[in-house]
Amino acid sequence: MVEVEKIREEARRLLQEGQVRGVIGYVRGPQGVWAVPAMIRNPEDVDRLVWNPTCVHNLVLFVVEEKKEQARQKEPDKRPLAVVVKGCDSRAINVLLQEKFIEREEVILLGVSCENSGVVDKKKLLNLVPSQKIEEIVYGNNGHIVAVIDGERRVFPPEEVLADRCLECQANFPVVYDHFFGEKIKKEAINTSPGVDKIEKMRLEERRRFWEEELSRCLRCYACRSVCPMCYCTECVVDPISFAVEPTTTAEEKAKKIKWIEKSPLLSENFVYHLVRAIHLAGRCVDCGECERVCPEDIPIRLLNKKLEREAWRLFNYVAGMDSQAPSLFSTFKETDPEDFIR
Amino acid sequence: MRKKIGVFVCHCGINIAGTVDVKKVAQELSEFPGVSYTVDYVYMCSDPGQNLIIQKIKEEKLDGVVVACCSPNLHETTFRRAAQSAGLNPYECEIANIREQCSWVHKDKDKATEKAIKITKGIVEKLRWNEPLQPIKVPVTKRALIIGGGIAGIQTALDLANSDIEVVLVEKNPSIGGHMIQLSETFPTLDCSQCILTPKMVEVSKHPKIKLYTYSEVQEVTGYVGNFQAKILKKPRYVDPDKCTLCDECTQVCPVVVPNEFDLGLTGRKAIYIPFPQAIPATYTLDIEACPGVLPIACGKCWDVCEPKAIDFDMKPEIVEEKVGAIVVATGYDLYDKKNMAEYGYGKYPDVLDGLQFERLLSASGPTRGKILRPSDHKEPKEIVFIQCVGSRDPELHNKYCSKICCMYTAKHAKLYKHHVHDGQAYVFYIDIRAGGKGYEEFVNRTMEEEGVLYLRGKVSKVFEENGKLVVWGVDTLAGQDIEIRADMVVLAMAIRPSSGAEKLAKILKAAQDTDGFFAEAHPKLRPVESLTAGVFLAGVAQAPKDIPDTVAQAGGAAIKVVSILSQPELLHSPLVAQVNEHLCTGCSMCVDVCPFSALSIVEGKAKVNEVLCEGCGTCAATCLRSAIEVKNLTHLQVHDMLTASLGGLK
Repeated sequence: MVEVEKIREEARRLLQEGQVRGVIGYVRGPQGVWAVPAMIRNPEDVDRLVWNPTCVHNLVLFVVEEKKEQARQKEPDKRPLAVVVKGCDSRAINVLLQEKFIEREEVILLGVSCENSGVVDKKKLLNLVPSQKIEEIVYGNNGHIVAVIDGERRVFPPEEVLADRCLECQANFPVVYDHFFGEKIKKEAINTSPGVDKIEKMRLEERRRFWEEELSRCLRCYACRSVCPMCYCTECVVDPISFAVEPTTTAEEKAKKIKWIEKSPLLSENFVYHLVRAIHLAGRCVDCGECERVCPEDIPIRLLNKKLEREAWRLFNYVAGMDSQAPSLFSTFKETDPEDFIR
Repeated sequence: MRKKIGVFVCHCGINIAGTVDVKKVAQELSEFPGVSYTVDYVYMCSDPGQNLIIQKIKEEKLDGVVVACCSPNLHETTFRRAAQSAGLNPYECEIANIREQCSWVHKDKDKATEKAIKITKGIVEKLRWNEPLQPIKVPVTKRALIIGGGIAGIQTALDLANSDIEVVLVEKNPSIGGHMIQLSETFPTLDCSQCILTPKMVEVSKHPKIKLYTYSEVQEVTGYVGNFQAKILKKPRYVDPDKCTLCDECTQVCPVVVPNEFDLGLTGRKAIYIPFPQAIPATYTLDIEACPGVLPIACGKCWDVCEPKAIDFDMKPEIVEEKVGAIVVATGYDLYDKKNMAEYGYGKYPDVLDGLQFERLLSASGPTRGKILRPSDHKEPKEIVFIQCVGSRDPELHNKYCSKICCMYTAKHAKLYKHHVHDGQAYVFYIDIRAGGKGYEEFVNRTMEEEGVLYLRGKVSKVFEENGKLVVWGVDTLAGQDIEIRADMVVLAMAIRPSSGAEKLAKILKAAQDTDGFFAEAHPKLRPVESLTAGVFLAGVAQAPKDIPDTVAQAGGAAIKVVSILSQPELLHSPLVAQVNEHLCTGCSMCVDVCPFSALSIVEGKAKVNEVLCEGCGTCAATCLRSAIEVKNLTHLQVHDMLTASLGGLK
């Protein structure tokens, strides 16, 4: 079991000794039981830190945001950041290291085990417990989730309430960390993605219809991109609005701006956006599931990434974020790579 | 942005006009925005065609030219020169390939015309954004590195050195000479191989322009055409050639005997040895793997007897660096591994030999002093079977290619056998005889007719020993019957393979290999001695199986190619190279990892292009997730606009 007091102790020590400029962790949120991310800069605030099955967020996003913020500052605080990372989040750190977006010394990783379980899917739980009167959500035995509702403990089996990605996860503890809390329990391999299985069984026409239906709902609010720690580019290639037009911009320069994609959320443009994003995440996506969680239209975005994750494994034996020293998927070429797709 | 573009549509006789309505292409393009002049003409590459372009550029004050014709591989240079002579920058001329990529691959004239129009419109869109560029100038180091000291390397070295170019010749073995020095006589004139090669070897060793590194290997090559840096590993010989007087006392006392590579194991040699009497450099080498120990306590007999104290057990491997402007690969071949030919008893029966071993038997300096004797009992073989195409031309089990030299050397072997053993009978199993060379066909015919060698068209299934005879089971497909020959000796014309170090060297030089492992030439017909890597040339069997005359000819070809580079005061490099948008670059270094030319590096967190190394292949541009890198005159915007035009415009 992860003892939250130990995480707090470590965070307090790091802050008191001035080793870090802040600790990114989870605190109890304004909606009561549901945890939210927080940047703790004051040792007095560390008691607010929590660790429970509602800690869904991938906090690496805030490492990225902080890094960008630092670049804007004249005299940035160069001390590292401490960040609480789950298994998937830690692999996101590895990808950032691989891509040299951050250096290893810039972060102190407080690794937490997912307790042979995972994090809950709020929607699933609220379907089972219509009342919002949940007082506490904690880990039970054997991966079960315990919710305290009106003072009464209700135990849920993992398959009923855990987020899909946690059910499909096979590495539920960090692969890179400085301090580790909890136990490393290797989960039994459940089917890595029943969703992908289903899609793969569809005929091409069916598949296209499926995606047309799903993607037609996309509002292009870009929440998926905003929440993704891998989408750290300052200018996104599909985003025509971010090309800055300044008073000195000449007509020729304006004419040279490429519009790969229209702003309006038309089906064709939505396809381009989601497919480009999926390809850009191939070999990089660590399946933290945040994109799908934040989607207001419930588009199964993870499926696209999951399919590419499977292809990367099937064709190249590559798993994203396992080794920060390994070259990234798209920048490796081996003579033994399959090339039967070239006809 | 260009606004007055001229489009010149070529008929290429009926090559294009037969399938594409060229008039319609010109007509449609004349209405395309930015195009101010169009014309079609029967042969644009002809002198009048080029003059038409030059004249119209001037008359119509064109600021860009698109020639819709054949592949840019063929006439891009022609038309760019024409544009240049009319006062345009050469990069203001672009080719729309409507032949190879259109007329030649289609039959339906309407659709082919439509496609030709789209292709041409795409190129007009591209040209609109082309920057006028100047070639990048690079200084040249006037020295050449030749890898491999066989006949190919020797000939290239001499040709270059005699053209007043300094040569660094690297050979991995203790002596130069390669396989040719092992041969007895050479087809079709039967001159003694050693007699014609040793003068060249001596010339190499005495030539003031040739720096020779034997017993050395190229370990690392960096840089680019005109400016390579090579790291060469000099393996320790443990003998100082300057002190050694070749008295041979050391070999007399050396207690270790190992198979002699020069005689292909037919004789032994000592751990300290000279490969053959005419070796260049003329000195001994201590084989550290065979020597009981460089620790003098272990043996040290050679050291004791060496009067000039030439033996130095403390010698260490040494790495030297050489700067050169061009590299010639002349790494030659190895025989196909004998373990692949178990059915012929090769490696199992001592009297089953490969062609090179038989050469040693025939050689006057060989293990038998030129007498043909069986290795097993030193008796003269009276019945001898030669088997051709062993491991060659066998795509299912072995190598798919023809090793090219075996038909001829087998005929030579059979002929020489008959010269030595008058009462013997020689049989040759063959698939067919390939004797395409000056005097070759006549040579084979003489072997058959004058020497009475029996040629049997068919393959051999098995060779096995029975009562001291080698039983050869074969088939004569012309007579349609099975053949059994009880022979005293069997000689296998083994396939030749690229030298064992070829793969490693290809990686070091970033030079491509073909599917068989030979170094790939840049063009099978028009650039046969150039590799795909600029400044790296090929000579001899490293490129493909070939005989001595062809090797010597190719070596001369490679030499003149090197001269054509090194004689220039500076080299011009294509300015179509990658460029980085530092604003978008995050320094993830994926481009650095994918670049096949090592042209990229990360400097202060951003990708940086070494323009001289960059070949403009665009792999980096395709890899970059942020579109932060693109190739000049093939920018993302240009690709976007080309796509738009090719798709018939987006709305």
